[in-house]
Amino acid sequence: MFVLPPPPPRYTIPVAYAAGAANGMAVPVVETNNTITHPEKGCPLQVGEAVLLGAQSWLTSDIVLGTYTLQDDLLLATPPPHPSEAPIVNPNPLATVPLPPTCGVKLSLVSLDPRKKPPTFLNSAITAPQFGDGNSALAAPPVPAKDALKRRKPKNNIIKSSSSFVSRVITHETSAKRLSDRDPNGVFAFANINRAFQWLDLSSPTKEEHLTKVLFTKAHMLCHDINELTKTSSHLDIVMGSSAGDIIWYEPMSQKYARINKNGVINNSPVTHIKWLPGSENLFIASHANGVLVVYDKEKEDALFTPEPSNPSDKENGRLPLEILKSVNSKNQKTNPLSYWKLANQKISSFSFSPDQRHLAVVLEDGSLRLMDYLKEEVLDIFRSYYGGLICVCWSPDGKYIVTGGQDDLLTIWSFPERKIVARCQGHNSWVSSVAFDPWRCDQKTYRIGSVGDDCRLLLWDFSVGMLHRPRAHHQASTRKRTSIVAPGSQTSNRHRADSAGNRMRSDSNGTEHLNGEIDQTASHPVEPRSRTALLPPIMSKIVGEDPICWLGFQKDCIMTSSLEGHIRTWHRPSDSVVKS
Amino acid sequence: MKGLFSKGSKSNGAATAPSTTAAPVKKELTPQISPLEKRLQDMGSIRDDGSDKFFGMENYGNTCYCNSILQCLYYSVPFREAVINYPQRTPLDSLEAALATNLRYQNPNAHLEAEALAAKQKASSPPSARQAGVPPNQPQKPEDKDSPEYKKKVALQTLPILETKNNATSYGMSESLFTSLKDIFESVVGSQSRIGVIRPQQFLDVLRREHEMFRTAMHQDAHEFLNLLLNEVVANVETEATKQAFSEKALPPTESADSLGMLTPSTGSKSPNTTRWVHELFEGTLTSETKCLTCEKVSQRDEVFLDLSVDLEQHSSVTSCLRKFSAEEMLCERNKFHCDNCGGLQEAEKRMKIKRLPRVLALHLKRFKYTEDLQRLQKLFHRVVYPYHLRLFNTTDDAEDPDRLYELYAVVVHIGGGPYHGHYVAIIKTEDRGWLLFDDELVEPVDKNYVRNFFGDRPGLACAYVLFYQETTMEAVMREQAQEDLASATGTAEAGEAKQNGSPLSPPLAHVQSAGQVPSHDTPFSPINRIPTAPQLSTHQEAPEHETPPLSIQSPVQPVQPPLPPIPDEPTPSLSPKKSDFQLRREKAKGEKEREKERRAAEKEKDKNEKLRQKEQDQHNREMQKREADELEKALKASKLDMNDLGAENGSPRKSGFGFLRRGSRSISQRLNKEKEPRLSTSDISVTAPVPEPVPEAPEVPRKEVPRKDVPRKSESLQSPMSPMSAMSPKDIPLSNKQPLRGPDPLTKDHNVSHEKTGSTHRWRSFSFKKNVNSVS
Repeated sequence: MFVLPPPPPRYTIPVAYAAGAANGMAVPVVETNNTITHPEKGCPLQVGEAVLLGAQSWLTSDIVLGTYTLQDDLLLATPPPHPSEAPIVNPNPLATVPLPPTCGVKLSLVSLDPRKKPPTFLNSAITAPQFGDGNSALAAPPVPAKDALKRRKPKNNIIKSSSSFVSRVITHETSAKRLSDRDPNGVFAFANINRAFQWLDLSSPTKEEHLTKVLFTKAHMLCHDINELTKTSSHLDIVMGSSAGDIIWYEPMSQKYARINKNGVINNSPVTHIKWLPGSENLFIASHANGVLVVYDKEKEDALFTPEPSNPSDKENGRLPLEILKSVNSKNQKTNPLSYWKLANQKISSFSFSPDQRHLAVVLEDGSLRLMDYLKEEVLDIFRSYYGGLICVCWSPDGKYIVTGGQDDLLTIWSFPERKIVARCQGHNSWVSSVAFDPWRCDQKTYRIGSVGDDCRLLLWDFSVGMLHRPRAHHQASTRKRTSIVAPGSQTSNRHRADSAGNRMRSDSNGTEHLNGEIDQTASHPVEPRSRTALLPPIMSKIVGEDPICWLGFQKDCIMTSSLEGHIRTWHRPSDSVVKS
Repeated sequence: MKGLFSKGSKSNGAATAPSTTAAPVKKELTPQISPLEKRLQDMGSIRDDGSDKFFGMENYGNTCYCNSILQCLYYSVPFREAVINYPQRTPLDSLEAALATNLRYQNPNAHLEAEALAAKQKASSPPSARQAGVPPNQPQKPEDKDSPEYKKKVALQTLPILETKNNATSYGMSESLFTSLKDIFESVVGSQSRIGVIRPQQFLDVLRREHEMFRTAMHQDAHEFLNLLLNEVVANVETEATKQAFSEKALPPTESADSLGMLTPSTGSKSPNTTRWVHELFEGTLTSETKCLTCEKVSQRDEVFLDLSVDLEQHSSVTSCLRKFSAEEMLCERNKFHCDNCGGLQEAEKRMKIKRLPRVLALHLKRFKYTEDLQRLQKLFHRVVYPYHLRLFNTTDDAEDPDRLYELYAVVVHIGGGPYHGHYVAIIKTEDRGWLLFDDELVEPVDKNYVRNFFGDRPGLACAYVLFYQETTMEAVMREQAQEDLASATGTAEAGEAKQNGSPLSPPLAHVQSAGQVPSHDTPFSPINRIPTAPQLSTHQEAPEHETPPLSIQSPVQPVQPPLPPIPDEPTPSLSPKKSDFQLRREKAKGEKEREKERRAAEKEKDKNEKLRQKEQDQHNREMQKREADELEKALKASKLDMNDLGAENGSPRKSGFGFLRRGSRSISQRLNKEKEPRLSTSDISVTAPVPEPVPEAPEVPRKEVPRKDVPRKSESLQSPMSPMSAMSPKDIPLSNKQPLRGPDPLTKDHNVSHEKTGSTHRWRSFSFKKNVNSVS
């Protein structure tokens, strides 16, 4: 039974509460403050941690039991509905009116401390060219050396803004003092909850008190990212994508902002994920819910987007895995977007850049993982989930593996150089919402992966190629020819396809050299049967909250999660097993 | 709380009173195209496979359980084809002749005229008591043009009405549940109209004639009905086949068998191939593997199932529920396993795996759970997510095609706070017209993401209850996705937005916002307890001025939302009035359940032992002891049983010529009921056959003609206090107060009598797995 609180005087419309409740969220009455709790017994995570003994090898290391202790649980306050927001009251459970959007709380963390940087595992320096390198229309105008140090800020002041998009901005009364007094190497966190966007100082003793809280009128921010390249103690470039499709470029220190894709002029479908292009000061990619990836430039103005006719030679191949509606090589680069790629009509759930900054792994609601060479605007490979949509994706720090999580309750590990599935990881009891590598617990051979899901669980996995349990041999023999196909008619065609994909994979498995060669066609890989795929169990599984967990992040000293309703939990790493990085 | 809301908005509507209803009538005398018709445009000529027919079904008072299941089965393509083609297809011309009388076209404007009339009457006459749940002293609300009630009424008044008639003789069969199902399917397939409303009266008559349980107008469990129906179809078909085999003994199986084309070689059953089609579709095989921890020997036992009942956990997925279903279980302490090999009770590990995957996987989510502290069944509102596609992890190593891909194609949704009342609707993916919502008479297109609104965590008490997955291929899935892409390329407005409904991301709030600006709209509609069931298909994406406001504020004059009125009567659950009595019954229900558990467990053990008997003599002795004990127990139980039950046995429904067969199959189907443990079935039954009342009225229930229509009216006075459901269609309002009128249930009797019959080979049960019950020390 749902029992709603009686309508408070502030909202004469009881419907506001129904709207809030429709998200399954606690319905706020007035603007409240974040709260922090320090659980007495905590929620310790016990994990066997490898303590490396000199030689960098798994075999010679000792495994000790490490305990991650829950330090605190910061609950973000859900803002009350905007007074002008006419929420829907609908007692009819069959009604199909849209529900207020939410995707849960996600965090963007930033620290200026170089020691807190995750270790890198790349053998060589990054040699990837800039996006759109060959296009003279994109050549940056020479910047005077003096200005180069001074970052350009967005134009409008968000506090004084009269925009109907921004409802109001609440700054902490002592925020200036807090900013000047703080440890310059501390961690800032930016978090979205409902229609609010909060700036928190995690190194502050009063970290639950936000530095700034921006309340938007209509839109909910669904994703955000901080530019690692341009961050300084006085400047942070944040882009955030909203449920209305609008994108905000925000600089919190000066409280300036700019709007991109204003009123959805370029694409009006919600922004599901947003990331700065690695190594770029100005460019970022946003994925929209209608299956479109758009590259924007924060410095460029919007213009009504008209698809530019793509190359006729592309059309010969029929339906391409990637429809380039505007190429980065277009001469028309005065305005946004820089490029506009339609992948499918399915929602793009998430995407992730490879550490070498050349590739992009994109996961979609249709269950496909698409590997792109985004510099060349090409899709290289398409893999499929075991079943159901894919939700999250990330790369191993060395760029060799890609891990996805999805509606099959599985984490799936894919080998990038070999272009094949490596293992399926079974352990979640519901859909996997976020996955991340722990670079401080990875080395050349072993990898630590963390994942969270709708089952309110946090799982940790240790993965090393040598340790994988291969499925028993007789399975392989008996099921080698069997695919998911049962209809006799389609059997042959499928096998043919599988074979061709197999050939493809073989030719690909020579290494990564082919990436520089000509790729004429996207390789579409069939689903591997269960009997031929290794299955990996978690090393730890723990229920960490009472609501679905939707984000997970690793820091040098802690693991952090955030949940649908706004719980940000921090676990300290075991103190006794410090790993040099 | 919900009742509270709907009441609030009802009175709300009342404030804006009658004047508005009459006005628009004149304006829109031309019938408007419905969302369904919109989706059915460009369908071309009528097909002969029935895939282009979209009929609602009339609700005769709480028959939504039947309607939703029948719709799901109709859109189970192979099932529909099999029903139509078995034993052979009725020639189209004779079908058309029959339809000429059965299909009645109505004046498409009928509802408008009726409404005008009603509006006139309303001015003078006091409000009718038709609106259950509205206290009579409140002025009647004007009708909300977007409420499902209104739409259903319009559908009934304007769409072609399809009566089904018994056509069994032309199939060469005697009338049965199968023939009446075939009647419905064939009439729909043969109909020249694509849309309409079916009156499944004849089907219900047969159902009620054969099964006393369904004779009342009470809320029934949809899953139970599905299982019963499938079992009945099997039984009916097999009975007829045997009958024919008797009469024309020498003849080989009929030709139509081969023409069915879908029949694969028999899986070893003795019944003729022709009758195996239900098995071929819904049946799978479960293997329970028991590994003795002493001697490590693994013993296996196979059982067939028609659907799987899975226990639910908060924040889980269907995948996980299925995995839990197959999770290893320790048999220890009181549950030790009798090992054949080491000869004695041993600790063992047991797990159930799927050995043969069904083509259609019906998954029953056990949302009704018996809670000890409340002493009754409670509905679980756990959030259980279900993907559009599924594979089974819990297969045996030697299972054929263990990676079979399934796609979700139908969802039966239960709306309501508890097991004894509520409403069922079906959301079904049709072959080429996308997802449709079937809510009794109403059929409306919905968005694909709409399917995800019923995970169980949303307010509104609507949760998925039965999921239908059918086998598919990756190719088919990709083709479909490509088509979706194509559609988006051509279709203009919908973009990504229409997809947003159920996903965590919803359409831009901007639109929600704009709903506040009341757009000028031709059809004024008033805010009432229900809001359009159909998605505003293309309007979503458009600029605000195009938008139909979901928030139906009807006229500028109207106060937006007046405060809630005081609630007239407390929203107590419907079953509360006679508390003590009720509790008594509960206790009895519980007691019975426990006894049943024991008995079932004992029975299982016995089955097992029966197999082992030849091997070891001492075991045999033990078994005999056990049997003795069982018999003793049974005798005890029998003595405890009400005389009612015996009476019911005598008065049990008419048996056909092959009554013994029919009965056997029913007892089989009953087995499921009792195995589905703390679920509706058992307790429902025990509730409906209350202990203290000897029920003399029971046999008086007319066997053939049940005055369905009267029932809701009679009980109206009782209905009003049932609150959470008052937003439901009045027909579906819980009628449980009526239950003392009910006769004893023959099923209850069957429970106690039939268990001897059930062999271990043919168990038609929906498989629900309850730990610690499956074996006994």
